[in-house]
Amino acid sequence: MSHPAAVRTFADEVKAIPGGEHLELCYSCGTCVSKCMIQQKVEPDYNPRRLLRMVMMDMKEEAFESPTTWMCSECDLCYQACPQEIHISQVIAAVKQLAVDAGYTSPLTPVQVDEALCSGCGICSMVCPYQAPSLFEKVVDGEIDRFAQVDSNKCMGCGTCVGACPLGAISREGVSNSEIQSQIPSPDQTIPDIITFVCDWSLREGADVELLESYPADQVNVVHIPCTGRIDPQHALMALDSGVKGVLVCGCKPGECHFKRGNHVAKCKLGLLDTMFKQIQSPHKEIRFVQIGTQERGRIRHEIDEILTAVSPAKEAK
Amino acid sequence: MVDAARQPKIDVRTYTEVESVEGFVGNFKVTLREKAKHVLADRCNGCGDCARVCPIEVPNYYEMNLAPRKAVYIPMSQSVPLVYTVDLDACIHCYKCVEACGPLKAIDFSQEDKYVQEDIGAIVVATGFGHFDPSVMEEYGYGRFPNVITSMEMERLNNSAGLTAGNLIRPSDRKNPQKLAFINCVGSRDKRYNPGCSNFCCMYSIKNAVLLKQMYPNVDITIYYMDIRTPSKGYEEFYDRAREMGIHFVQGRPSLITEDEETHNLFVHSEDISLGRVIEKEYDMVMLNQAAVPQPDQNHMSSVLNVVQSPGGWFMEYHPKLRPIDSPTDGIFFAGACQGPKDIPASVAAGSAAASRASRILHSEKWEIEPIVAVVWPDRCSATTKGRACGLCVKACPYGAVVIDGDKAAEIITAKCHGCGGCVAECPEDAITQMHYTDAQILSQIRALLADKPEEKILAFRCQWCSYGGADLAGTSHFEYTANERGLRVMCSARMDSDFIYEAYRLGAGAVLYSGCHPQDCHYITGQKVGAKRADRLKKMFERMNMTDGRFRVEWISAAEGDKYARVLNEMQMTLDNMSPEELRDEIERLKPDMEKRLKRFPGVPGVSEAMDYSDTLVDAILKAKETS
Ligand SMILES: Cc1cc2nc3c(=O)[nH]c(=O)nc-3n(C[C@H](O)[C@H](O)[C@H](O)COP(=O)(O)OP(=O)(O)OC[C@H]3O[C@@H](n4cnc5c(N)ncnc54)[C@H](O)[C@@H]3O)c2cc1C
Ligand code: SF4
Ligand code: SF4
Ligand code: SF4
Ligand code: SF4
Repeated sequence: MSHPAAVRTFADEVKAIPGGEHLELCYSCGTCVSKCMIQQKVEPDYNPRRLLRMVMMDMKEEAFESPTTWMCSECDLCYQACPQEIHISQVIAAVKQLAVDAGYTSPLTPVQVDEALCSGCGICSMVCPYQAPSLFEKVVDGEIDRFAQVDSNKCMGCGTCVGACPLGAISREGVSNSEIQSQIPSPDQTIPDIITFVCDWSLREGADVELLESYPADQVNVVHIPCTGRIDPQHALMALDSGVKGVLVCGCKPGECHFKRGNHVAKCKLGLLDTMFKQIQSPHKEIRFVQIGTQERGRIRHEIDEILTAVSPAKEAK
Repeated sequence: MVDAARQPKIDVRTYTEVESVEGFVGNFKVTLREKAKHVLADRCNGCGDCARVCPIEVPNYYEMNLAPRKAVYIPMSQSVPLVYTVDLDACIHCYKCVEACGPLKAIDFSQEDKYVQEDIGAIVVATGFGHFDPSVMEEYGYGRFPNVITSMEMERLNNSAGLTAGNLIRPSDRKNPQKLAFINCVGSRDKRYNPGCSNFCCMYSIKNAVLLKQMYPNVDITIYYMDIRTPSKGYEEFYDRAREMGIHFVQGRPSLITEDEETHNLFVHSEDISLGRVIEKEYDMVMLNQAAVPQPDQNHMSSVLNVVQSPGGWFMEYHPKLRPIDSPTDGIFFAGACQGPKDIPASVAAGSAAASRASRILHSEKWEIEPIVAVVWPDRCSATTKGRACGLCVKACPYGAVVIDGDKAAEIITAKCHGCGGCVAECPEDAITQMHYTDAQILSQIRALLADKPEEKILAFRCQWCSYGGADLAGTSHFEYTANERGLRVMCSARMDSDFIYEAYRLGAGAVLYSGCHPQDCHYITGQKVGAKRADRLKKMFERMNMTDGRFRVEWISAAEGDKYARVLNEMQMTLDNMSPEELRDEIERLKPDMEKRLKRFPGVPGVSEAMDYSDTLVDAILKAKETS
């Protein structure tokens, strides 16, 4: 009798990478899929459960081409909810690593460094949640100089580096300073009571997003940013300068940031701005940072109503 | 319950707790605490006048705390016996009840808990199961959202004898819900809480859906599930019927429930796996089918009864296939869900089986036990030789079968001994022997197995219940392993005496395997722990002596792990193959004197110690044990 020799399957390859081990325990219960925001918000074909299944069924090419492999931002919302305690983002990262090793590249648009502006300070590499930017040296005009470069397979496009770069040297279409500024009304336009900067992930698709859009334009102006990490203090200042009375920045609850820790970076920047305002005793204007969890249906309404009341003339008169 | 109470041969003791269980099969002494009701059972006629006047209301646990009861109460109208109880924690001592009771004078605040001891022949444990508290799963909002309820609450809400007389309402506004969602596996099949399946939730959620649909044909019911398990007769057909009635089934485990703060309606967020899409649907009310878990006091009961718990906390049976109703302690049986989630048919079957197992004992004049019991040779016990018993045997016995009375030699209550042999191996004076597994018998096996070219042999000590079965399975499955293995069976790893291991190496064994059950599978409650502790000591000792790593191995191998048994032995063979014959011989010779020294006090090692003198007292002791067993 001859026995078949052991075959190294795709699943074996994934399981050999730390984090991939528990892959086969998956019940295919779908908890991860519905916990994850990506399918509902941006990509109908995004499905971590199905990616795990593809690995188990040895569907290597399909897995490497699946949007799930490339779009997982390692937020780990699903990991907390998986009844089999599978570290899904690590399994996906293992698949992505194998895909990159096999020569596949990320379909996402990464940020790009403008070397003419880059000072090589390295701030982008410090704030990036994915270690996508790094510094490299090259000789320019006979001198050794340092510049940032971005690993396009690692960049998730959160824009945190864009918001942090002091020289505007790193950017990408969709998150550039000019595009965000164009959403802020200039002094010659109708000035709303408040401007809210809202990240793409914190509000529930459907009810909460609709609710935000339902305020009249002269009351609430909405500026969309990929992540609160992208917020640049100059945007808040520009907004206040245009004449609005309040700025509301809305991001994910601690521990729920879609881009791992963009919300921490935002909290830090906005906190500093608030302190500076207090120091120069500027006429009172509201800058608020709220962090809304996936479970907090309807909370955005309260937050907006509260800041609207806070900045309303009745209140000022008192 | 009413029927049971009427049966003249059934003595129902309610509001009573088992405090302690002593003795052994046929002769248990059970101490009961009859808690004070503060109402005299022989005077109370159950009229309820007291409760009507009582001004205090507290939540009624019987109604899942959804309805109130008074401080003097019966939990439900069918209570057996129909005698009221004063809840002193809630009572404000206004004594209105005493007044209302009037000439019956049934209320007696001076009553105290009573302790009684009963002679009991056999015990059936039927303490059932408890319920997982879903409020720890924040994602489902139980406890925060009023219209998220548990299945137990649903049982009360749609029960015609329940608080709403069967009119299903939702807690937030008491309106009849139109759209309902049931969520299965809440806290079950979830490694974060309970990895196991709760067995009956699939079926009762279908049952509840069918009942509701029959009563309110227009309600819309959706059951969210991971898998629907319908393994018994007629169950699949029932599931079919439910689908034909228009009950919706969504395969997908919800990840989140959110609430509209104004309407208190709920949004269930899940993937619909068949669609591969995330869906969010609105419901008036959501029922969580929470996991069945062991009773909150199951650990306590297990120590009172001296029975073992399986991983997860349920009571563990003697043998899952062959003795599924028996506990490891003779005379104690399990009925129903205390042993693991069971539905009503299975619980009733187990109850009947337990009753018949118990009646065998009650109808027997004499009870036969396995003859492999331990016997003390009082002459050698340190109580006799040194004036003080060391007590190691008492510590080793998982059944409390060894007793030491004052300065007398240790004694074994034969009826309680299960024959693991732990005390025999632990006794430093070699004052205990085990019938049919005497030291002499085991030693002669060791000597025979190592008679020829011992340095090539791997002596494998296996326990009867697990590793022996593992070895057996390796054989019947044709897993190849080294032909140099020589197996030897004892009942439990607890019986694997250090002296046996010394003797094996003294005789020049190439390697020794010390194997038994995984701790949770031990057939003798904690016998494996006794064996494991000793194995650990031996392992450290051989390390100190610089024995080549792998020549002494300790492995826990279940009866299902034939592959592991084969692998371990092949690895041990590899260890030997990696040593040159000279190297091995030198090591064996180097360790020999040490082994001899350790065996000096052990009776009957040829050329090392004196043979054991089978004195009359031991013979007497053995005869006595035979008589009682
Ligand atoms: C919501 C729900 C619906 C269900 N519907 C169905 C159904 O439709 N059909 C079906 O077949 N099964 C159903 N089941 C399963 C069913 O409840 C169990 O099969 C059954 O209750 C098990 O019976 P039992 O006697 O073993 O335990 P239990 O019913 O739990 O009874 C144990 C009893 O022991 C008492 N007790 C506990 N500890 C002690 C102690 N230390 N001392 C004295 N007394 C003690 C308890 O108070 C309790 O009265 C359902 C379960 C749930 C949760
Ligand atoms: S939540 Fe976990 S078990 Fe469920 S489908 Fe996702 S990975 Fe599998
Ligand atoms: S880690 Fe986050 S982004 Fe990745 S699959 Fe899970 S929920 Fe989605
Ligand atoms: S956009 Fe985000 S992920 Fe990409 S490099 Fe910048 S900080 Fe990193
Ligand atoms: S330890 Fe085992 S052999 Fe010894 S008395 Fe107890 S049950 Fe019997």
